[in-house]
Amino acid sequence: MAGITLYNYELDENSYRARLLLSMLGLTWKTVAIDMFPGEEQKKPPMLALNPLGSMPVLTEGDLTLYGMPAILLYLAKAHDPAGRWLPQEPAQFGETVRWLGFAETALAPAVTARLQALFETPGDAASLRAAARKAFRIMDDHMTARHFDGREWFVGEAATLADLSLFPSFTLSRDFGVDHDEYPALRRWIRRFRALQGFRTMPGIPDYH
Amino acid sequence: MKLEAGWVPVALSSSIEIGTSAGAVVEGNEIVVWRDNSGKIHVWEDRCPHRGMRMSFGFVRGDHIACLYHGWQYDTAGQCRHIPAHPTLEVPQTIKVPTYSAEEKFGMVWATSVTDAALPNIDAAEVTPARSLYVDCPQETVRAALDALGMTPLAEDAGILSHNGDRLLLALQRVSPVRTALHIVILGSPDVHGGAGQKHYAHWAESLRFRLENPDVAEIA
Repeated sequence: MAGITLYNYELDENSYRARLLLSMLGLTWKTVAIDMFPGEEQKKPPMLALNPLGSMPVLTEGDLTLYGMPAILLYLAKAHDPAGRWLPQEPAQFGETVRWLGFAETALAPAVTARLQALFETPGDAASLRAAARKAFRIMDDHMTARHFDGREWFVGEAATLADLSLFPSFTLSRDFGVDHDEYPALRRWIRRFRALQGFRTMPGIPDYH
Repeated sequence: MKLEAGWVPVALSSSIEIGTSAGAVVEGNEIVVWRDNSGKIHVWEDRCPHRGMRMSFGFVRGDHIACLYHGWQYDTAGQCRHIPAHPTLEVPQTIKVPTYSAEEKFGMVWATSVTDAALPNIDAAEVTPARSLYVDCPQETVRAALDALGMTPLAEDAGILSHNGDRLLLALQRVSPVRTALHIVILGSPDVHGGAGQKHYAHWAESLRFRLENPDVAEIA
C-alpha cells in the first residue's frame, strides 16, 4: 500500500509525536484508529503482526513498518524533510538532537507512564513517577535557561528540531498527572514558541487557546 | 512570609511575558501571575469563581484574562465582564476573583494583601535577571545557606550577596514547608551582566541547589 499510514490512538502522546511531525512536515497520511484503552487492541494478534512489542504508535509506508518513537520520527525526517530542518546534518547538532530524542524516550518515560496512570489507572507508583518526571523537566528547564542567555530559543541550533518536538508533549501534558508548570519558566517560554510553529496541532489535554 | 504579612516575591519579571500567565504557590496558596497586553502585572487568587479551575491555565486577551474551562473573562480588577454562554448578560458584580496588590521592583514581581506594606529600597538603578531557582528544601535551610555565604539581610525574606565583585539580590518565596523558590537578579546593567554573566549565575544557582538538596554529597564535592 502506497502512502503513509499511522496506527494511532488520540490520547497516546507518542501517537501525538508522530501526528505532530507529519503535520509540521505538511504530509498527508491515513489514520487507523487503535483502541488502546480499554480495548488494548495494540496487544492483540492483528497489531502484534505489525509490532511484536505491542507499543504505540505504528507507522507504515510502502513495505516499511516502524514502531518505537525515535525510529518513526527519525525516518520521517530523513525521508520527508529534504532540507534537514528537523534532523540537522551538521555532526554536533545531529548528535545533540539524537541525544534529546534519547532523553525523550528514557528520561521522560516516567512522565508518559505517570500520565497513563492518572488517565487510565494503569500500574505504577504515582509519587515516584511524578518525582522522576520533575527531575527530567528540571534538566530541560536548566538547559533552556542557559540557552536563553545565549540568545537561543530552541534545544539545539537556531531552529526547532526533533529535539523540541520529542520533548514538547510530556511537559505540555504534565498537568494531566499533577505536575504544574510553575517551576519551569524557561520551558513555559519555549512551549509558547513551539506552539507558534507552522503545522502545529494540539491533542486532548493541550488547549487550543493559550 | 505569607501574602497576608507583606510583600512576597513570586516570579522574575522577565519570566512573565506580555499577554501570558503563570501559576505560583505561596505557603500553599495558589496564585496566578499574569501580564496584560499593556504590560501591567496582576496577581490574583488562582481560581475561577465558576468551577474552581485554575486561572493560570487560562489565556490573556488584551486587558482580560479568560478561564480555560468556559471562557469567563475577567478585567484587571478581577471583575467578571463576559460569559460566552450568556453573551448578552450583564454580569453580576458578585462574580469577582480575589486580587492581591502586585508590584514590579528590582526585576521581580511582588505580591501582598497588606495595604500599607513597603518594599525595601536598594541603590541599584538597573538589574539583570538571573533565574528563579526551585529547591526541594525548607525555606529555613535555604536561608541558612545564604546567611552562611555572607548574605546581608534586606527584608524578612530577601538579602544582598556580594560575589566576585558582583552583587546579587536574593529573594525567597516559601512554596510549601518543604519547597522554596529563590529568585535571583544581578544588581547592575544588562550591558555589563547580560549573556555570560547571567549564565554564570544561573549555573551558580544550580550548584547551590545541588548542595542544598544533597548535603551529604556536598561534603565530598
